[in-house]
Amino acid sequence: MSESTFMGVERDRIDWSPRIDFSKCNDCMDCVEFCPHQVFEVNENEKPKLKVKNPNNCVVFCRACGKTCGLDAITFPDKPETTKMIKAIRKAEKEAASDE
Amino acid sequence: MSNTVCVLPCNGLDKCAGDISRRVALKLTESEGVELICPVLLNQNKTRYDKVLEDGSLSVIDGCNTRCASKLAGSLEIAIKEKVNVSEVAKAQNIKLGVDIRDDEETDALVQVLLEKMSISEEKQADSQFIETETVEYESFSHGKFIFKVPKNNYFFNENDCWVSISGDIARVGVTDYVQQNLSDILYVDPPEIGQEIEQFDELGSIESSKTVFEIISPVSGTVVAVNDKLQDAPELVNESPYEKGWLVELRLSNFEEDKELLLDFEAYFEFLKRKVAETNV
Repeated sequence: MSESTFMGVERDRIDWSPRIDFSKCNDCMDCVEFCPHQVFEVNENEKPKLKVKNPNNCVVFCRACGKTCGLDAITFPDKPETTKMIKAIRKAEKEAASDE
Repeated sequence: MSNTVCVLPCNGLDKCAGDISRRVALKLTESEGVELICPVLLNQNKTRYDKVLEDGSLSVIDGCNTRCASKLAGSLEIAIKEKVNVSEVAKAQNIKLGVDIRDDEETDALVQVLLEKMSISEEKQADSQFIETETVEYESFSHGKFIFKVPKNNYFFNENDCWVSISGDIARVGVTDYVQQNLSDILYVDPPEIGQEIEQFDELGSIESSKTVFEIISPVSGTVVAVNDKLQDAPELVNESPYEKGWLVELRLSNFEEDKELLLDFEAYFEFLKRKVAETNV
């Protein structure tokens, strides 16, 4: 099992992190300032400056950084779909364990 | 204590949402017992407003999600009783505001909706239907100078540090001791709407401290039947009693047996939290 899990599922198997619409982003970096989990990274010399550096640091189901974005440039995956996927992985793992 | 309502609006003078905040604030101050707070003066000289703020409650009107007015109140550690966000309400009404100041039918209608929102929120409260158990037993562990408490019976948790306690088909939801210590003094509780239908892991409002905003991730699915209205006047109850008096929302459960599969019981959460606290420096 990998070090980081969410609900018993390896974190890197759960696709949950902010998606940035760079046509809306104005480089204000409020999201970077807000997030305590080092999900974002700022590269002053690159374009765009903002990058989702550590998507797996993002707390599954948390969308709080999106609320700090006055321009609505941040979106997240669909919650019910993500829940469904976590349930399916858990079920498959349980079945695999009982087969052993 | 007088019932003065202090209104602190956004100061975005040059933008549409800011201008609407200003219009709503001015309209509100036409009523008796409403005091307008100028954000610039408050920021410069808080003592000018100390007396009215001490005697009254604070209502904040944010223009957009930059939330300057809320942040100003937070930085001065003034508890917020009520607030609205012009851009969020506009979005819910399918109104596209844009940047330029507008004075037309659509913005007039939005001002009206905002005014209604700010005056009816207290009447909507439904009574709590949850039957409290007599005593809640806790187990705790310490990490550095912090002590974290977790209730032992009849509480379940998600990995987003929200708890749920069950009485029949009614569930009470709140945040754990870990969250309240992380946030420190909670200044505002933004409740969901009564009647709202919630899926497991949907957002159930948020709580706010001067440090940050914390989204409540619902551990269960169901319909919102009550919110803890005591928190509007005393958000500090979430700090003082996160598992009991500081409960946030009550829901009528729709499928707890299934929800439970994705929740942690006391033992599992206690271990989960110990690991989490050891890994992160609180």
